[in-house]
Amino acid sequence: MANIAAKRIKREFKEVMKSEEVAGGSIKLELINDSWTELQGEIAGPPDTPYEGGTFLLEIKVPETYPFNPPKIRFMTKIWHPNVSSVTGAICLDILKDQWAAALTLRTVLLSIQALLSAAEPNDPQDAVVAKQYREDIRLFNLTASHWTNVYAGGPTVIWEFNQKVQVLIEMGIDEDQARVALSTFEWEIERATEHLFS
Amino acid sequence: MNCDQFYSVFRHPYSITNLASVQNNTSNKMSAESDMEYSDNDGDDYDYYGEQDDCDMEAVDRTKSDPEYFLYTCLRVEEVEKLLNESIELLSNSLQITPSLAKVTLHAYEWNAQEIINKYKENANEVLVYSRVKSRSPVLQASTSRSSCAVCANTPPMHKYSALACGHYFCNDCWAMHFEVQIMQGVSNTITCMAQDCELRAPEDFVLSHVTKPNLRERYQQFMFKDHVKSHPELRFCPGPNCQWIFRAWTREGARRVECQGCELLTCFSCGAPHHAPTDCPTIRRWLTKCADDSETANYISAHTKDCPKCQICIEKNGGCNHMQCGACRHDFCWVCLGDWKSHGSEYYECSRYKEDPNMSSDSQHAQAREALKKYLHYYERWENHARSLKLEEQTLASLKSRINQKVMAGEGTWIDWQYLWDSAKLLKRCRYTLQYTYPFAYYMDNGPRKELFEYQQAQLEAEIENLSWKVERAETTDRGDLENQMDIAEKRRTTLLKDFLEFHTTTASSSKV
Ligand SMILES: [Zn+2]
Ligand SMILES: [Zn+2]
Ligand SMILES: [Zn+2]
Ligand SMILES: [Zn+2]
Ligand SMILES: [Zn+2]
Ligand SMILES: [Zn+2]
Repeated sequence: MANIAAKRIKREFKEVMKSEEVAGGSIKLELINDSWTELQGEIAGPPDTPYEGGTFLLEIKVPETYPFNPPKIRFMTKIWHPNVSSVTGAICLDILKDQWAAALTLRTVLLSIQALLSAAEPNDPQDAVVAKQYREDIRLFNLTASHWTNVYAGGPTVIWEFNQKVQVLIEMGIDEDQARVALSTFEWEIERATEHLFS
Repeated sequence: MNCDQFYSVFRHPYSITNLASVQNNTSNKMSAESDMEYSDNDGDDYDYYGEQDDCDMEAVDRTKSDPEYFLYTCLRVEEVEKLLNESIELLSNSLQITPSLAKVTLHAYEWNAQEIINKYKENANEVLVYSRVKSRSPVLQASTSRSSCAVCANTPPMHKYSALACGHYFCNDCWAMHFEVQIMQGVSNTITCMAQDCELRAPEDFVLSHVTKPNLRERYQQFMFKDHVKSHPELRFCPGPNCQWIFRAWTREGARRVECQGCELLTCFSCGAPHHAPTDCPTIRRWLTKCADDSETANYISAHTKDCPKCQICIEKNGGCNHMQCGACRHDFCWVCLGDWKSHGSEYYECSRYKEDPNMSSDSQHAQAREALKKYLHYYERWENHARSLKLEEQTLASLKSRINQKVMAGEGTWIDWQYLWDSAKLLKRCRYTLQYTYPFAYYMDNGPRKELFEYQQAQLEAEIENLSWKVERAETTDRGDLENQMDIAEKRRTTLLKDFLEFHTTTASSSKV
């Protein structure tokens, strides 16, 4: 790994560790290997959002050319959000792409991702299905996002109706994650979800 | 030819120097045309009548006879470099700014030097801000420290820092690395400052003062040139593979045919797609996207063999002509619809027209989808088929060339004697090309009298092209007069259709740039 990248990451790691956000428990950063090329981030779901109470893990890969190119970051925890792929966890965020600046740091990036959870950008979607629901039925979107936060990120809000519907599909022999994606996509209508899964 | 029209053109020659001086004037062609109509005839210019410029005469001739005629030039890289340098010099001389700064502003203002000069005299600051070489807000003193570099965390001595006009200082090593990474990714004119949320662009001299590797400097200059051509409304790279030629023209509206001097590719200057008259630019983009999306559905059509509809023997198509004659039973039929050819030779050629099913039950969604697919496939099949015929005619052209050469070698006349054969094959190619592009046009047309007229003309053109194709493939045994007559008819049908349906929308050059 390039000298400058490792040096920067070490310094940024310290910066995050000393930050007030870490002290307050809203973000965390952990090293995955000794060569400073891979880290794991953790952000708390912001208050007054369907993500509240959940903990979301992020995979952070540092390229050779860091900080002249952005780090590669994706959600490891499944999340229902217009700017995050519900399947791969890929994030659509301008500072991770063309708006990246070498002077940006991991701390600012983690905080920006956290801010994205509070304020989605449905017009620049990563997941078109989620974005459509967000625009057309925000109530159902919030319920679905809460449900995902509960199931995958340890959030407190249990939505029994959704759990039961997922269970119905599991009993038909469908994989749990697939069942949840299909139901979330088809407005929690079992008939349409199964029609899609079996077609 | 009418004398008035003739000489007014000499007063408004379509010469490059004349047009180049009126940059960004999209109504050029129009104003020249209206001048033709209302030209005064006081005789002052009469002397020039004698000094006819061949080029201009040809231009006048061709605008009348060829509805696709479009004024353009094919330039080499060096010629374009010279052209760009002239603008750069003009600007840096008249505004007393560095050539590097001139380049940034020209890029930002799409090479409209005159606009920059005017605006600069009014408000120089605004021009620099718009070109992103100056911050809109005043520079904060010491907005970044010069004791440690925010990018690498090193602490080099003060003099090893530099900054753009925004005052964001970073160490020189970091600038060098930043530029290297950007250049390797193909970025040149739009490399920005390294500070967060700073959109300032690094001008050429700043970049080159930090980049020392010769191969990197060269790459940077190359990308820069490409970027300049792309940002210039009068220029477009020939999209041919590995082709270095660049087209220059003065409008970007409607289907505009330009032919590359190097690779002979036909391109639309307005949008960069393969030339597509009579279809317009947005429509051809829609059509090509649709074809790419539906390629699998349509794949089954691309068979090269079909069975003779009469004796069922398998026939392979090896020429461009769609008038097929079965080798076994001598049955004449149409390759496209497998119908009897007799029904195609008559005045009303039915093969190209899509007949919607009148009994279609409008309530069933499935039936509607099926009907939509049927309609698409009808047009797609014909589009595809003409594209394939066009390729086959390319081969016809090549074999014709060698046959003519053989004749000439054997003493059977000279090339000039056989030129008409060559011309007929070229003309056939041109006609079929236009015919191919009538199909997407018809597909997106609304039903009504205009579509009926279009399909009538299309059918006429198609019939004459197939007649011509039949004759060209048997050219040596066809009577020369007969062939030339057929050439004439086909080309007339083609130009009539284009004259009636080729439209140039009046969008401005800059807004239609893709
Ligand atoms: Zn530095
Ligand atoms: Zn800056
Ligand atoms: Zn070319
Ligand atoms: Zn076009
Ligand atoms: Zn037959
Ligand atoms: Zn036919």
